Amino acid sequence: MGHSDGDHDDLSADDSPWSEDIWSDDNEGSLSFEDSGEGSDAESDETDALAAEESDSSEDEVAPRNTVGDVPLVWYKDEEHVGYDISGRKIKKRDREGRIEAYLRNADDAKNWRKIYDEYNDEEVQITKEEAKIISRMLKGKTPHTNVDPYPDYVDWFEYDDKGHPLSSAPEPKRRFVPSKWEQKKVVKLVRAIRKGWIKFDKPKEEPNFYLLWGDETDTADNKRQGLSYIPAPKPNLPGHEESYNPSVEYIPTQEEIDSYQLMYEEDRPKFIPRRFDCLRSVPAYEKALREGFDRCLDLYLCPRTRKKRINIDPESLKPKLPSKKDLRPYPRTCYLEFKGHNGPVKSLSVEASGQWIASGSSDGTIRVWEVETGRCIKVWKVGGVVHRVAWNPQPDRHILAAIVDHDLLLLNAEIGDEEVQMRTKKLLHIEELAPEEEETGDKKPAVKWVNHDKFDGIMLIHHKAVSTVEWHFKGDYFTTVVPSGDSRAVLLHQLSKKHSHHPFRKLPGLPIAAVFHPSQKMFFVATKKFVQVYDLQKAQIVKKLESGVREISSISIHPGGDNVIVGSKDGKLCWFDTDLSTRPYKALKTHLKDITSVTFHRKYPLFASSSEDCTAYVFHGMVYSDLNQNPLIVPLEILRGHSSSDGRGVLDCKFHPRQPWLFTAGADSLIRLYCD
Amino acid sequence: MPKHYRPAGKKKEGNAAKYITRTKAVKYLQISLATFRKLCILKGVFPRDPKKKVEGNHKTYYHMKDIAFLFHDPLIEKFREIKVHRKKVKKAVAKKNKDLADRLLNRPPTYKLDRLILERYPTFVDALRDLDDCLTMVHLFAALPAVEGERVQVQRIHNCRRLSHEWQAYISRTHSLRKTFISVKGIYYQAEVQGQKITWLTPHALQQVLTDDVDFNVMLTFLEFYETLLGFMNFKLYHSINVNYPPVLDPRLEALASELYALCRYMSSGIVPGNSEPAKLVEDKDESELRLAQLQHQLPSNEPGALMHLVQESTAADVEDDDAKECRSLFKNVKFYLSREVPRESLLFIIPAFGGTVSWEGEGAPFDETDEDITHQIVDRPTQSHVFLSREYVQPQWIYDCVNARIVLPTEGYVVGRVPPPHLSPFVDNNAEGYIPEYAETIKKLQAAARNQVLPLPSIGDEDMEKTLVEAIIDRSASNEVAEKKRKLEMLEQQYHDELKMEYEGKTYSHTKADNPTDVVDNDSEAANNHVDDSYKQAEKDAADISKTVMSRKQRGLLEAIEIHHERKKDKVNLLKKRKKNAESSASTKGR
Repeated sequence: MGHSDGDHDDLSADDSPWSEDIWSDDNEGSLSFEDSGEGSDAESDETDALAAEESDSSEDEVAPRNTVGDVPLVWYKDEEHVGYDISGRKIKKRDREGRIEAYLRNADDAKNWRKIYDEYNDEEVQITKEEAKIISRMLKGKTPHTNVDPYPDYVDWFEYDDKGHPLSSAPEPKRRFVPSKWEQKKVVKLVRAIRKGWIKFDKPKEEPNFYLLWGDETDTADNKRQGLSYIPAPKPNLPGHEESYNPSVEYIPTQEEIDSYQLMYEEDRPKFIPRRFDCLRSVPAYEKALREGFDRCLDLYLCPRTRKKRINIDPESLKPKLPSKKDLRPYPRTCYLEFKGHNGPVKSLSVEASGQWIASGSSDGTIRVWEVETGRCIKVWKVGGVVHRVAWNPQPDRHILAAIVDHDLLLLNAEIGDEEVQMRTKKLLHIEELAPEEEETGDKKPAVKWVNHDKFDGIMLIHHKAVSTVEWHFKGDYFTTVVPSGDSRAVLLHQLSKKHSHHPFRKLPGLPIAAVFHPSQKMFFVATKKFVQVYDLQKAQIVKKLESGVREISSISIHPGGDNVIVGSKDGKLCWFDTDLSTRPYKALKTHLKDITSVTFHRKYPLFASSSEDCTAYVFHGMVYSDLNQNPLIVPLEILRGHSSSDGRGVLDCKFHPRQPWLFTAGADSLIRLYCD
Repeated sequence: MPKHYRPAGKKKEGNAAKYITRTKAVKYLQISLATFRKLCILKGVFPRDPKKKVEGNHKTYYHMKDIAFLFHDPLIEKFREIKVHRKKVKKAVAKKNKDLADRLLNRPPTYKLDRLILERYPTFVDALRDLDDCLTMVHLFAALPAVEGERVQVQRIHNCRRLSHEWQAYISRTHSLRKTFISVKGIYYQAEVQGQKITWLTPHALQQVLTDDVDFNVMLTFLEFYETLLGFMNFKLYHSINVNYPPVLDPRLEALASELYALCRYMSSGIVPGNSEPAKLVEDKDESELRLAQLQHQLPSNEPGALMHLVQESTAADVEDDDAKECRSLFKNVKFYLSREVPRESLLFIIPAFGGTVSWEGEGAPFDETDEDITHQIVDRPTQSHVFLSREYVQPQWIYDCVNARIVLPTEGYVVGRVPPPHLSPFVDNNAEGYIPEYAETIKKLQAAARNQVLPLPSIGDEDMEKTLVEAIIDRSASNEVAEKKRKLEMLEQQYHDELKMEYEGKTYSHTKADNPTDVVDNDSEAANNHVDDSYKQAEKDAADISKTVMSRKQRGLLEAIEIHHERKKDKVNLLKKRKKNAESSASTKGR
């Protein structure tokens, strides 16, 4: 029945399941909690917890008072003592209380139920609350301590994954004891590889990286680069002053300039904007350093390289050597006279065959005749419409002026010269009233109607549509007019003596611009927008078609020899055709900035001129040789200025004097100028 | 029928046969585009411009011969091997065959570029000619941050640093540096080696940022080639001055990041012991390195004159032209001390290259700030607190300007705390440009003065006296000019007087009347003159224009292009002049 301290230890260890036999003698009430028991009543509940915790250690220290050993206490039943203490003295039994006394004491004491009589030591022991709890838990069959988990999760010490059964009971196979064939094969392979040096284990030896690569360079044959010719990459541009960290002030753009860069195209925008730092220490790292290095790399391996010859020539050497101008004189150079009188742009002028008079037509509705020598205006006709063009009859004894007024053509008697001549012209400009109604057959309007003009004593040729140009034949009897919108009746031929007109050309390649007679033969030139057609009037067939190659022809002139034609265009180009040579221009001169309004040849001198809307007139030397092998010589001579622009128009017409090297120009500034040598 | 139709079975001819587009080239070589790029970069193959672009205008064309040249290069095979090796390693790792993976990684296939270099540059001079880009690139990478985990390996950056220092040491030692220029982008240097002018750019010694807009693969391939090239170049150059090439540096100095100085020192000592070291080196590297470094450390001794000594020795050794002589003796008797804040690496390179002695604030310096012999201290700070009276305190720009001008400039403009005069580019031909900045003229005058000076420069110690001397010379030359002008004026005046006299004698009567009319006439004639001038100009222009009319279109175009170019140049100069004028006027108004 007696029990040792070790049992208590087991109890307090909690974790181990308690065995029944230790507690089997419970009914004998032999729990010994000396320390806690002795103090009995004095113990407070607060200290209980502490005591319970410390109980283990205190139990160990305190030995049982009675040293009688494991003998039945019945043997001491009749003795006065129950045993002996540690020094051998008898432990006296307490006096027996009467039952009634005991009952009374117990009835008074509330803690009585916790008191147990310890027979062995002959004393009463009081159980603490915790001990009581433990006892009650044990009586219920629970673990003595509350924090013990009686059913912990089971931790398996063997892995069953995919094994079916944890352990195999099969006998060990033979292969576990025999060396593997395949392994051996592999080993043999490796061994062989190692022996033959296919597999190396030691690290490769470090060889010196650099050596004298370019040894002796005496052998020139070896020093040739193989393959294609090497084109070295162009070196990057060297930095200029503006890239300095501290450039002069003039290299730093102002804020407005920097702002204006934003308006530029991205590729025009300067990539580098100079900045100025006061000292070297304030210069920051260049953020585009890597980017620029990379760009250079890309340039090096991605840009196609070609050898380009950079010519460094003097611009003067590019200009062609022209013959000295002095040798080519005379030619008009300076303004000699100005004819003032018109109130509007002078649209056209014409020089009389003798060169004594000029006639001019202006958009102020007047035609004027001037004496060249004095610059005086001799005669004025107020025709009451815009005069587009005037043309003298080339015959010296017929002083007839053809003028285009508004839409129609007016033939006028100029009323100069002696009486006889005047009479003759008067007669010529008279139509017998023959009742021309007999022609009115079809529904179509007749192309031209010859009508007497009473006011100016001339003839009016009423065209079906607006007329643009008029040109005389050199003999002075025929003349031609062009009606650009006239379709098949665009170019008309008129005979003055018979007062008759007809339209020989049914079909033209495009809109007609101008028509001119050959100066000596029976040929006829019609300029359309891009081509010049040459007709033989006698055979009534086309002879040649000149291709100008310009955008739009504006004027045409025939060399007095008749083989050369110049054509002025609206894109400022002047084309010289040598009809014997080719149908393409012999020379195209890009002269003017704006439209060419008129081109003209001199009748006697090897000169020709062009006038343009850019207020200039060019004078050229154009020598045509009788030797067919020699090409014409064309030399630009002079730029004549002086006219001022009005309404964006410049010089509207130019004509040479028939005998002198003089040039008349008619300007939009209502002036006529005469340029002389 | 397409334009370039060719009957079946007929071979291609002309441009169609000679040139191949990039895509076709890649297919032909059976490599990837990346490998093709790498190959092109290493072999120096570039696209060419065919006369007729048969396949289209927007394609890159390579010459068929170039492609054949690539096709036969062993490098292609090597690249394939590398690819295979990479796959093997990957497979071994995937199969957890660590042994095999390790073994494979231990011996990766490698290739060398020495053969390519010799192929591309058969002679040394060829290589020198193409060295600009190489140096710029290596210096750029040397300035990148050497940080693990960035896109550039640390080891390569260190290699670049080493190579650039070796190059600089050579240039400095042979005194072949000619021009320097501090730009916003960095510092430009121009050296002359074997008659070749080599220009390179080093970024400012500040942390560069690795941006995302560049393809590092391409750059690193270039760098790979350049590193090898520069290595061989350095070897050859060091060989030519009798120094062992892979130089062994003082580890102490190296640790202090003053490799350049260490290199200089190595070179100076390398000449003396000759070839005895390398044998020692091979056996026991680490130890001998240390010992050698110590040895060297003692050999030139701590006295700062070691470099000077070297300089004197080399003068005797080789014959050089005047330019080199001039460069060598520019800072001959000048001793510099660099403050903490100045760009040390650059100045340590430049000053010895022009014969100067230099030390810096920090460890490993040959002499310290208290040295009595220091004549110039380079500082870059707003104020200098402690001043030694015996020396000049100048800003770093002074050195660069001196080098470019090839004379020791007066220091007063560069004193601490002052905004230095404008730094001008030495690479610009001012006369060709048509505009000469003000300071360039000043320098020119100073140079002329220095050349005329019969006396040798007085000792640098009394800088003030020299300065005054230079000034005096400038003054003198200026006064000469003034005197000449005066003489001319006098002559004119005399003439005028004579004329007046004659006039006076001619019409002795009514000279009071005569005076006024002449004035009026003068005015009139002036106006008339102007008019005449205008008309003359017009006439001249006309004469010029008129010959243009008969020119062919092509020539006219050429002429116009030239004229436009001239016009632009003139505009630029005019803009500069205008800005200058504005600046001056605003300065003067401020001054008031």
